[in-house]
Amino acid sequence: MHPPASRRVHVYLRSESPELMRTRAILQKAAWAVFTVVFVILLNFFLFRVLPGDPARAGMRDPRLRKEAVEALQARFGLDQPVINCFESLNPVKLGRCDVNPFETQFFRYMQNLLRGELGISYHTNRPVIDILGERLWNTVLLIGAGQVLSIVLGMLLGVLAAWRARSALDFTAVGASLVAWSLPTFWLGILLLFWGSSLGLPVAGKATPGMSSMPLLAQWTDIGRHMLLPTLTYTIIYMGEYTLIMRSSLLEVLSEDYILTARAKGLNAVQILRDHAMKNAMLPLVTVIAINLGFTVAGVIQIESVFSWPGLGNAIYEAVVRRDYPVLQGAFLLIAVTVILANFLADLTYSLLDPRVTVE
Amino acid sequence: MKFMYSRIVLLLLIGSVLLSACGGGGANQPAVVRIGWAGSPDTLNPGNAILSTSYTIYELVYDSMYELQLDGSYALSLADTASVSEDGTVWTFKIRDGLKWHDGQPLTAEDIAWTYNLYKDTPEYPYLNGYYTTYFDTITSTEANEVVLTLTEAIPNIESQLVFLYILPKHIWEGVDKLEYENLDMIGSGPFKLAEYAQNEFVRLTANKEHFLTPPKVDEVIYQTFENQDALVQAIRSGQVDMITEMPGTAMESLKNEENVKLVTGAPYSPGVTDIIFNQIAPENCPTAEGGLCTGHPALQDRTVRLAMAHATDKQQLIDVILLGLGTPGLTLIPDGLGSWFNNTLKDYEFNPDEANRLLDEAGYLDADGDGTRDMPDGSRPLTFRLNWPSDSIDAPRMAELLGEMWLKIGISLEPGAVDPDALTAQCCPAFDFDIMLWGWASDPDPSALLYVYTSDAIPYGSSETGYSNPAYDEMYANQQVELNAEARRKIVWDMQKLVHDDVVYIIPYYAGAAQAYRTDRFSGWITDQVKLELGDVSSLVVIEPVK
Repeated sequence: MHPPASRRVHVYLRSESPELMRTRAILQKAAWAVFTVVFVILLNFFLFRVLPGDPARAGMRDPRLRKEAVEALQARFGLDQPVINCFESLNPVKLGRCDVNPFETQFFRYMQNLLRGELGISYHTNRPVIDILGERLWNTVLLIGAGQVLSIVLGMLLGVLAAWRARSALDFTAVGASLVAWSLPTFWLGILLLFWGSSLGLPVAGKATPGMSSMPLLAQWTDIGRHMLLPTLTYTIIYMGEYTLIMRSSLLEVLSEDYILTARAKGLNAVQILRDHAMKNAMLPLVTVIAINLGFTVAGVIQIESVFSWPGLGNAIYEAVVRRDYPVLQGAFLLIAVTVILANFLADLTYSLLDPRVTVE
Repeated sequence: MKFMYSRIVLLLLIGSVLLSACGGGGANQPAVVRIGWAGSPDTLNPGNAILSTSYTIYELVYDSMYELQLDGSYALSLADTASVSEDGTVWTFKIRDGLKWHDGQPLTAEDIAWTYNLYKDTPEYPYLNGYYTTYFDTITSTEANEVVLTLTEAIPNIESQLVFLYILPKHIWEGVDKLEYENLDMIGSGPFKLAEYAQNEFVRLTANKEHFLTPPKVDEVIYQTFENQDALVQAIRSGQVDMITEMPGTAMESLKNEENVKLVTGAPYSPGVTDIIFNQIAPENCPTAEGGLCTGHPALQDRTVRLAMAHATDKQQLIDVILLGLGTPGLTLIPDGLGSWFNNTLKDYEFNPDEANRLLDEAGYLDADGDGTRDMPDGSRPLTFRLNWPSDSIDAPRMAELLGEMWLKIGISLEPGAVDPDALTAQCCPAFDFDIMLWGWASDPDPSALLYVYTSDAIPYGSSETGYSNPAYDEMYANQQVELNAEARRKIVWDMQKLVHDDVVYIIPYYAGAAQAYRTDRFSGWITDQVKLELGDVSSLVVIEPVK
């Protein structure tokens, strides 16, 4: 589901002052992050233009759509301009004149918009992309937030229990259940829960019951909570398994260390050993995975959102792909890229906080 | 501390479930109709709209000069009378007195003329400009509350040209950017007012009890979006919605036996057509200047081959397997849902693989190398056709499989493949870089739009998908465009259908039906006995009443 979490851990042995090294490393990391964002911005533009198809026609298969209307739409969205100097279009590749005014190319307009902090107007809904993403982002954050908190808490708990009681019946059950949960197809689990939930009278679609906006705030929140139950449950089951497995294996490794043996020899009880000695070290791999997940789940909830008609970012991306809505796609991808890069950056920092021996390279 | 928070979250979640169980209905609650559908409007600005879901909302919130009835006919709406000049180019509509916008301002001929001019002068409006105002010359309003519409030429179908031109309030629209305006207040004059709109979530409408023609009996109508059709079916079962506008075919059987749910089927409101497209463009017609590649298999230019394939196609099986019986066998691009425009006297080619084999044998398409696939009479290449369909189609893969089996029995083999819809458009027209495609069309209430698809004019234009070119047909098309006598026009339109059916331009497997369902314990009076079925149509929504 996700790329394997690997990170080079560097034990510092050099003579430079630790603070200086740390600052320099952080600055270096930050510079890389910025560079990556710039790269994504460039890639974002060309990626969608090498896809086949004409956004001014996308989704319109109607005998009433006349060529003149398509041309007027192309002009409106600037699609009648060359993509960039020397290229009329990228798919099909059509070479054009190189001496066109670069300020009139689609690429320049895209960059100009971005520098102004604008993401453009959606071709499909004619609304500013920033408005669409803004609305949708909060819905997704709400869903992911609840799902992540639940799956982290439950996953860690189960992972610790399984590791502490390794090779017991509890361990086998936990590992078995986690493996199953981790490998369940998201949409399939979603549909199952949808059928089950609707038989209990739970809402199966949307974020809120239409017409609730005139009700008192508490009733509104309760209503949203009810709508969140099924998607959050789906999310939690899917992600909990992964966290349990990672927590368990990393804790098992730590528990076999000599210093844990020493702690046991000192007569510390289970809680003391786990809390004061084992957990902090065992958390490292989990932090990495959580950080990476946080970035990826913004896009990864597409399936959950479409099963439960949750008006989130994933849904917006899906629709934009279908409609060839470049501005929305560009905006959404930029948002996701920035989230992933930021999450990774934060994971690096957290790493050295958790384990002072580790510095970031 | 972290653990505390999660406990609080859990408690809140559990609490909310318990609380919600306590909600009950009072005695004098407003009558709210909840409709579940799979879509959402793309925009509330009628000029920019593309999706039919948007039009569904416009039909409720706006009025237009004519209303399209469920039997396919038109009724004057905003005007008391309509009259036309001798030469058929000047239409005068006497607008009703005392009409009001939802914000209380008067609606007059001036608003109507202004709106028509807006549509006419905005080329970026894909349909309302591009198609419906093609023949508009000038539009003016008079002191006597009349709209005078002058056309560039006399046309036979003024009603269908005006039916989707929703009238907008001049006092609001003249001050806004007609392309960027999102129209979130959506002041109209129709039987329902927009109360609340959340894109991709719901549209909430309240009744306009002062509507001049059809004041609704219910108080509110809510269209709620379900991105997932299984959820839609579950929602009507559990009573979360009172009506659903669509469902997966597999749900029909189970809903039939559901208590308090009535399943209804019929021809859809916007009758569509599914087509099997043969690339039959003749080399001399290839639109090379527009990017024409014309790589189609030469055998498909031969009517005999197409006719044999038609004889080998078991349409009833396609309907039974793909639509689970919900559909009728197709003939031409003009679907039966278009009422009197549909030529119901045409006799389809009999399903008869033996006859198909005989035709191919006789024409010299023999299996020379004995590999099970017939070859061209000169032996140059086998009758192996590329078969493509848009990858977002749910039905096409099954159809491709069935067609592959059916046609293999007459020695024709296929290379099937799903293609991204946009890539398919690029392959299709005017490139003609394919052999056979499975696709479909939406239709206008007037047949002209779909009849155009068969014309030679449409080849370089990108609307023709077969490359069919027949001067006799082109002439008939031009004639029906200017024939003012409705009966004479109908006759030409029927002859055109016969011509393209005889030429086997397409195989039309079926006209799909619509299936909808409503809860019998919530509202009564849904209209289900018309030519077309649309429970979400204004005609139903203004007459239904809560079940006592």
